[in-house]
Amino acid sequence: MADRVMLTIGTKKGVFVAEAAKPRRSFALRGPFGPGVPVYATLIDTRGTPRLYASSCNPFFGMKVLRSTNMGKSFEETKSAPAFPKEDGRALANIWSLEPGRGRKELWCGVEPASLFRSQDAGDSWEMVPGISNHEHARKWQPGNGGLCMHTIIRDGNRVHLGISTGGHYVSEDGGGTFRAANQGVGAGFAPDPYPEFGQCVHKIARHDDAPGRLYMQNHGGWAEWSGPGGPRPDIGVLRSDDYGHSWRSIAKGLPSDFGFPIVVHPHDADTVYVMPLEPSTRSCPGGAPAVWRSENGGDSWSRLARGLPKKQSYFTIQRDAMDIDRLKTPALYFGTTTGQLWIGREGGEKWDCLFDALPPIHNVKVAVV
Amino acid sequence: MGPAPTITLHVPGPLRVYCAGAEQLSIAADTVRAALENLERSQSALYRNVCDETGTVRRHLNVFVNSDNVRDLDGVDTTLAAGDVVTILPAVSGG
Repeated sequence: MADRVMLTIGTKKGVFVAEAAKPRRSFALRGPFGPGVPVYATLIDTRGTPRLYASSCNPFFGMKVLRSTNMGKSFEETKSAPAFPKEDGRALANIWSLEPGRGRKELWCGVEPASLFRSQDAGDSWEMVPGISNHEHARKWQPGNGGLCMHTIIRDGNRVHLGISTGGHYVSEDGGGTFRAANQGVGAGFAPDPYPEFGQCVHKIARHDDAPGRLYMQNHGGWAEWSGPGGPRPDIGVLRSDDYGHSWRSIAKGLPSDFGFPIVVHPHDADTVYVMPLEPSTRSCPGGAPAVWRSENGGDSWSRLARGLPKKQSYFTIQRDAMDIDRLKTPALYFGTTTGQLWIGREGGEKWDCLFDALPPIHNVKVAVV
Repeated sequence: MGPAPTITLHVPGPLRVYCAGAEQLSIAADTVRAALENLERSQSALYRNVCDETGTVRRHLNVFVNSDNVRDLDGVDTTLAAGDVVTILPAVSGG
């Protein structure tokens, strides 16, 4: 019976695991696990006996995938990590996303330079997915500030949505065999053409099982003041699609900034979505006063959630995978900061408490009830 | 052309788990490149930590022949003589 709330926290210096009973009054922390190197992706795999995964991005000795089969009491390297074929010419620079696939052991992995890998044996062996990794656009994508990363993998039956920075949104409708760019309405601020076919700096994409075709996107916004070729591009940062990502429209009106990284959907209400607006120049919350913003009507309007959060002088960044929400009846949000704080937003983000305030800089937060 | 000279490869501590705990390995190779190729065949898990998929020595590793960084010699084409010690070390960095 599911009765524990488990967090994986990927940091600059390894992965931590935090665990609490359902009331979530206090979390016990374990770790860090791994050799003290950045962890950009974690996964709490609840298919069958829970398994935890973490990327281990070692700048000295290369990329590894860590796996725990004892609920995060220890981690071991899988037998191999994703790697490009020798003749490909590319070399793995980072592992950015880990997601479950079909059955109980299939895993998908998005990497830098932006490419997709798949494992059929819980991460012990990997094969490159050529439909996107060798896509005709792949050698034209450009790295963003965080590198050329495939950070979002969303499976929806035979559909697979991918988010690439900077490549844009790609969708497969044949289980990952072939992909095409699907960016109509997704703006770019760093190219003369404000709406290119591909090459957008997508930051994160989210969906909900109960709303077929609905997707939310946090794109790279902050271009309202642009006065160069193509003119200003206000409100291109927060978007919604209702046709499986084939077209997108802005839902940024009412937010203090359309720039941000994570975007999260309420587990029981597809119309409730959360973002963390940041000032585009500093990547910190407007006025140094952190707040999560929530829409309860699919992006038509937004409200500010900041009770318990610092009111001033807080200049952290929340990275693209550093916010998540649990699936309990009254869910709690969680976000981690680049200053090493882990916050919990109880009652759907109504009241915030700091769970841990001195972790290494946080890249990734995932939560599951196990 | 005679047999390749036997050299000693010193394995840094964090990588010994990939070669059954060995602190050093004896390898027959007449260049650093040949030593790495030998490593790819005989110690593939260790090799993957030293070189990326393209066969390039990872950017933050330094390879020394005796006390000289191969960067200041002929890179991976640096020739080896019997008894040479090849050492792989992480570059100093961090924060």
